[in-house]
Amino acid sequence: MNFRVERLGSVTVVVAAGRLDFSAAAGFQSEVEKLSGTADGTTVLVIDCAELEYVASAGLRVFLLAARICQRDGRYFAACALQHAVREVFELSGFGRIIPLHPDRDAALSAAQSRPA
Amino acid sequence: MNEHQTRVMGEPSQLPRLTRFLRDFWVTAALPPEAAHPFEVALEEVFMNVATHGAPAGRPAQVAVSLRRDGEELTLQIEDDGPAFDPLTLPTPNVYARLEERRIGGLGVHLVRQLMDAVSYERDGACNRLRLRKRVARTDAAGVAGTDRNRVG
Repeated sequence: MNFRVERLGSVTVVVAAGRLDFSAAAGFQSEVEKLSGTADGTTVLVIDCAELEYVASAGLRVFLLAARICQRDGRYFAACALQHAVREVFELSGFGRIIPLHPDRDAALSAAQSRPA
Repeated sequence: MNEHQTRVMGEPSQLPRLTRFLRDFWVTAALPPEAAHPFEVALEEVFMNVATHGAPAGRPAQVAVSLRRDGEELTLQIEDDGPAFDPLTLPTPNVYARLEERRIGGLGVHLVRQLMDAVSYERDGACNRLRLRKRVARTDAAGVAGTDRNRVG
């Protein structure tokens, strides 16, 4: 898989692309952990999944860890633009109940802005 | 009937080989690309369980994987020579738990059960055998091979 990081002020967006399988999960996890735990002024972390084609439980672990770190630090965490197959794995795992899943990046950013302080 | 088989060592590094095996089968059998994802997930979850927990003493497990298509039903069978272990006996994770209480353990098998139509386990001599079945719609109603032969989702 590939990923790139985009920073827009206090918002950090990680664009994930390709296959987040067991082999890719460790590298992606260390990057996401670093981003979600860095005191760089980021208040919103969004993982943009528009180009993410595949996820299994090893990949879900990365989202779970990021959500926990952000919750601990009072940051907003969400995923957006999940392809159908990826969304199915999130929903079957109950992750749609613990991580906000938005249809696209704009929806994620607007939810982040309107959340209670 | 259309059946393909492969054998790999039960080591995490072998996962990409199995994924390629599944994708090659998908193209050969002219199955709809969008139907591949559940099988790829199931194969990863079962194989990684064997590779990380299912080794016999002193060596990696030997793993045999086969894919068989009977009409619209696809069967994925995964055998290993590790100690007897039925993953279907693992407790179902609480998918309603709050964020701080969620666990990843057991989620893989839960996904396999949810994504497949039928899942069965048997111990056959020194072999664990997991058989996963799911109906896969053909790319057209007539059951003729579809036109997207080279596309795999």
